[in-house]
Formats: sequence, C-alpha cells, structure tokens
Amino acid sequence: MAEGTYLAPDAKLPYCRGCGHASVVRHLSCALERLQLPTRSIVLTTDIGCVGLADSLFPYLHTVHTTHGRSTAFATGIALADSLSQPGGLKPIVLIGDGGAMIGLLHLVHAAQLNVDVTVLLHNNFFFGMTGGQHSALTPLGLVTATTPTGNWIPPLDILSMLRAAHAGFLARQFATDEDLDATIAEAIAYPGFALIEVLELCTAYGTRWNQLTGKALKEIATSQGHKLGRLEAAPERPGFREVYRRQIESFPKKQAATEVQHSAPAWHLPHELRLVVAGSAGERVQSAASLFCQAALAAGLYATQKSDNPVTQGTGFSLAEVCLSSQPIEYTGMEQPDAVIIASLDGWHELQANGTFVRCRPETLWVVDAELPDPPTAGRVRRLPLRKAATPKQAALAGVAAWLAGESILPGTIWQAALLRLPQERREAAGEAVRIGQQLAGPSDGESG
Amino acid sequence: MVAEGALAAGCRFFAGYPITPASEIYEVMMRELPARGGLALSAPDEISSLCYCVGASLRGLKAMTATSGPGWALMVETVQYALMTEMPVVIAMVQRLGPSTGGATQGAQGDIWLTEYSVSGGYSLPVFSPSNAAECFDLTVHAFNWSERLRTPVVLLSDKEVGMTTEVVDEAGLVTPEIVDRISYADNQPFVPYGFERTEQVPVFAPVGGEAKVTATGSAHDQQGRLLKNSPEVLEVLAHLQQKIDAHAQEMALVRTDLDPGATSLLISYGITARAARQAVCMLRGQGVRISFLQPLTLFPVPEHAIKLALEGVQTVLVAEENLNGQYRAVLAPLLEGRQVVGINKVGGLISPGEIINRVRGMEA
Repeated sequence: MAEGTYLAPDAKLPYCRGCGHASVVRHLSCALERLQLPTRSIVLTTDIGCVGLADSLFPYLHTVHTTHGRSTAFATGIALADSLSQPGGLKPIVLIGDGGAMIGLLHLVHAAQLNVDVTVLLHNNFFFGMTGGQHSALTPLGLVTATTPTGNWIPPLDILSMLRAAHAGFLARQFATDEDLDATIAEAIAYPGFALIEVLELCTAYGTRWNQLTGKALKEIATSQGHKLGRLEAAPERPGFREVYRRQIESFPKKQAATEVQHSAPAWHLPHELRLVVAGSAGERVQSAASLFCQAALAAGLYATQKSDNPVTQGTGFSLAEVCLSSQPIEYTGMEQPDAVIIASLDGWHELQANGTFVRCRPETLWVVDAELPDPPTAGRVRRLPLRKAATPKQAALAGVAAWLAGESILPGTIWQAALLRLPQERREAAGEAVRIGQQLAGPSDGESG
Repeated sequence: MVAEGALAAGCRFFAGYPITPASEIYEVMMRELPARGGLALSAPDEISSLCYCVGASLRGLKAMTATSGPGWALMVETVQYALMTEMPVVIAMVQRLGPSTGGATQGAQGDIWLTEYSVSGGYSLPVFSPSNAAECFDLTVHAFNWSERLRTPVVLLSDKEVGMTTEVVDEAGLVTPEIVDRISYADNQPFVPYGFERTEQVPVFAPVGGEAKVTATGSAHDQQGRLLKNSPEVLEVLAHLQQKIDAHAQEMALVRTDLDPGATSLLISYGITARAARQAVCMLRGQGVRISFLQPLTLFPVPEHAIKLALEGVQTVLVAEENLNGQYRAVLAPLLEGRQVVGINKVGGLISPGEIINRVRGMEA
C-alpha cells in the first residue's frame, strides 16, 4: 500500500488546536505505513467522544463507530470471529478516551485475559472533552474540571497496572508528543495478542484553560502519580487467542452418536395423563431418578415432561422433580394435583408442605413416603417404606419411584431395562439395584415387580 | 432445542453469561458449537455477550446470545446498536418473574413490553414466541432467517417453563425451515454500506475484513455511513429501519389456529400459556362449548391479518397470558375494538386449563 493511503492526505483534522488526538492519528498512520498492512486488514473501532471523530479520516480502512466504552468489546467480537477464518489476520484497532476506558473497563480486562489480537490506543487527556470538560476516573489529583471546581480529589486509576494483573502482554504509556510514538504503535499492532498504549495528552479546550497544564507538567504529573512511562515489562510471552482456541478445540471430546432408545413394542397405553412429584434433598439424585423414569417411559412409547425446582442455592435444601406422562403429546405441565408423590427426605417433606401440595392433593393421590419421615398431613393414600435405609439416601428417590410403579401396576417393571442401559456403566449398577430394592419394597403385586 | 435450532440455522458464534433460566442454552452452545466448528465463549457480562455477537456479525458470522430479563436490561444499548447498524443477531430471551432479579426459577410472561419497546424512537424488534420444545427449534430457525434477511436483531421470547422443561420431542415431526443467509455484496458492484433504493429494501452486506470498505456506525448516518445531522437522507435511513420490518410483517406472521366457524368466542394465547389454552379448548369442546383458538408464534410484528380473519363472527375475545396487566392484550386492543375483551391473567404460577375453562364458562353465564 502506497504511503499516505491510511490517513487521507487532505484530511482536515477536526480537533481543537494543540489537541493530542491529532498527533495520535498522525502517528497511527505512520505506524500503518511502517507495517505496510493492507488497508482492508484493519478495522478502526472508535469509541464515543472526540476520539470517535477519526473514522472519516481513514477513508480506506474499515471503520466501526460504536457506543460509549464498548469499542473494545465490539473489536473483541470481530477478533474472536476472525479467529475462525483462514488465514485471518484482521487487525482491530480501538480508539478510546479516558472516559470510555472506565465505562468499558471490563471489556479491556477481558480482552487482555483472552489475549485477542486487538490494539487499543487509549487517548488519556484526563477530561470528557466533548461534553464540556468533566473529570474522568483517570484525572490526576488536584486537576480543576467542570465537575471538580476545587480540584479532583479521587485518586486516578493506573490502568496499565490493572491490565498487567489481567495478563496483558503488551502495555506502554507514552506522550502524544513523543517522536517514537509511531514505532510503539507499530509494535503494538504487530503484537499477536492484546496490546494497549496509554497516550497522555493535553485537552486544549479544558485542560489547559483551567489548569497550568503544559507538556512538561504532564510529565511531572505522570511521575508524581507513580505511573510508569514507556513500555511496561510485558507479561510472560503468551500465545494469542487464535492459537489457544485452536488447541482448545482439538482437545474437545469427539462427538458421539446419541444412544438409540430401544422401544418396547407395542407402546404402552395410559388411559389418562399421569402426574408424579418426587421430593427429596439436593445432591440425593432426585432429578436423576425422575429423568431415568422419563427415559423408561419414553422407551415404553410414552410422552414425558420433567421439571425441576430447587431453592436459590443448588447444593443444599430441597430438590423437587415434576414428571408428567401421557400417551398423547403433553400440553399443560402444571402439577397442582399429582397422581403420586414420592418423599425421599425431610427437605422434600418440608417443601411440599410449604408449596401447598399436602392440602391440594386429591384423596386418590398415592404417597410413597420414607418410613423415617412424619406422616404427610393429607387425605391421600400413604405407603411408608424404608427407602433410605434399604436403598441408601442417594438412591432413595429412585427406589421410591420404582416401588410406586411396582405397586400401581400402571406400567410393567421391565420398562426400566431400556433406561438403565442408557446409563454409563459406573452408574448403571447402583441404579439397577435401587430399582430392584424399590420393587421388592413394594411387595408382590399382580406379578408386575419384574 | 433453541440451541439445536440455532445450530440448524447456521449459527457459528455464541457468547453468553450465566443466568437462570437461560443457562441451559448457554451450556449446550458451549458444548456443541466448538464441536461443530463454531466459536462459543463465556463473556464477563451480558453487555459484552451481545457486543461480542454483534462484532462477530460484523465479521459475517451468524451469532446468538441467551439471557433473561435482568440480562436483557443490560443488553438494550447493544440491541439498539445492532438495529441502527443493521447487524443480524438473535437473542434468546427466557423470561422469569420480575421486576429486577425477581424470581429466578419462576416462569412469567411479563417482558412482552420490555422486549418490544426497548428501542429509542420506537422501532420494532421482530419477536417469536415458542410454547414447547418443537416450536423452540422451529422458531429459532425462523428468528435467524429473519434476522439475516432483514439485517436486524430478532428476539426469541420463551420463559422458564418452556426453557427448563425437559420433554419428549418427536424428531420425525421436526422440519427445518429453509435456511436464509444475508445477501452479500458482489465484488463487481460499488458497495454502499447502508444502500437502498426503496426505503423497505435491506442493504447488501459486506463483512469487515473483506474487500469492500465497511463503514458501520450507531449514530445517525446517510447511506454511506457518514454522520450527518437531519439531512433528508439521514431521515430516510431512519424511516427505512422501520419500513423494512413493516414491509415484511405479513410474511413474518406465524400463527397456529384452531378455528370453529360457528364460535362467537376466540381464545388467544402464546408461549407457555398457549399449552394450557390448547388443552382448555379441547376440554371445552368436549363439554359442547364452541370456541376458536389462535396462538401467535410471531408476537411482533403483530400478525394482524391472521387475527382479523379469526375475528370474523367473534363477539368475545379472551387473551390468556402469565402477567398481571395483559401486555399482549393491550397490544391487540386496536384490532379488537367493538368486541368484548377479557383478560385471563395471573403471576406466580402457570395458568391452568381449569382456570381458562372457568373464565370461558363464566362468560356464558
């Protein structure tokens, strides 16, 4: 690409006289010339504020003018997507100000963590220039701004130190007036991961009007804040996102074909929908028991739905599974009046009390309750079985479902086989044992306990 | 099934952030998309999720994210950006009980207005609403197709009870709609980033990184993407953003109807409540009650034509939805003028077929 084709040669820079932004765009253009990158391999992603006026200055680059602070996030999305393309190599360059850097702070942090191939030029002039000279999170102490009339009293953020903690590989802090700024920018763009240069500038509209700010003072401010200048010690050499993701994909388990469900033939017929609630404790395989039962029903040619409920915490308290079976596609999945309720633990017992199931249930509802639990205060039929003792607490729910099914003779005990076969070997044995125990607990009933 | 629909539609990019009840979609995409050559990524928040998706869309990939009400609240800025820059993206919005963090594990249909009326200036977002797993698959494909075809963000609006219920799906009954891709710029044409001749036309797409120079902006712009104030062309571009949706409203309208020509009552319901409504209609007919039923699968643009047809001879319209204020009933109000309109509303639990039947029979008394 010929010299001068990046920044339009006749470009009228729309910045205030003396504004550092003008210097940055000139250095950016020089950096691109140094690198001789094809114009179409660059996406200028600009933020809101005076920095966002740069789009039209680079007529041959792709430009994406974004929302406030989000420029880095859009650039990251572009870079992520580009990592899927071959050969890729698209270079998003973000132009953002000190205001945008703070509102979009987590986008910078995450881009650094991901190490996406994004270069950020942070124009830090300490002010929101476009909106009238308000202070930002990067404004040095003592500076007079439109919103700190007696001087800024909130210590400024050292964004480079913060990004170093996020494993950024390329970090530098320079002045807009530095002659070698274009060299640093070129180095940052060439770097195959996340790179950020904080460019310290003067805002001539507000900074120099309200404060004794000069180029020299700028240097003193940076030093007095303890903010290091120049190229910061880079994080240990990290591979870029594209490479890491490719390795990640290679380590992905190869897709296995879904296990075929063996249907028992002919399909079993239910005269009406069957609604079952299984109540127990989190971590005691309540959902697994319900799921296995649904698989069994599916193998028997039935439609099934399963819903779960738990407290806000996932690992403690109750766990509730609601299952509906039907010979027809199931529409309504509510569970106001279940046909059967299995209670495998005290947590489940309390939840059914709290949600009103005890009161709502019909007299025909069958309750299979662990023998150690209090009697459910309900009008329904109650069977008390030593589920936890006989089948262990972890298998009590499954044993309860198996016992209920065996006792009711709605479906044959053989339907469990197909579902058990789908389980991984290490779980199959214990689950099969729980089903067998449940069927035994139910006692002989019309020879259906097979 | 939303994830399956997305994969069938050609989704190649997903960025997500955990939120009940949308985390299942996120988890399935994280598992399935990389295995099929796409990219799925955890974002640090919902704002980033959607920004990443729009960035990927700018690069030319079909992209999706999934969230619920609290996440949607954060995404609104970027939804508007996608609309303004005409970048296709699909947002699977799984409703839960609000306001604020509300009830994470409780279903609701309270975000109809929140979703549709999110854009400054009142621009329409196409919204599809599935009631079961099979419709999740089908409508996700449609959501992608329309997003690509119209170059605009599209919402798939389900809820906890649809999103977190495991159910049997008859695979043989799933028909993948024909896949639509955005119309891409051809090399030999001059490229105008937001070019159209008639305002309802959709601009041809070119990806950033391609041969055609892309100028994208969320600020008011002309067809070249230049920032201008109130020029006639800028105002025309603004009108175009709505008119391209309106012009395709009829084509986008998907409804499921079960009409009885002799009925004077019409029950309208969508999403999870449509399931109870279908069952209620079946039971009511068993009791000798004559009633028609309509389920809009496309909530927005409102399927006006289909609703008008269903309204013939109807005196009473009942709208069943799981919110307190009858959000979709209010949207339909102009179409229902002159008829008795009854809301069947509830929050905190599913509306049951029995509750619908009681209201319908109550109208008869």
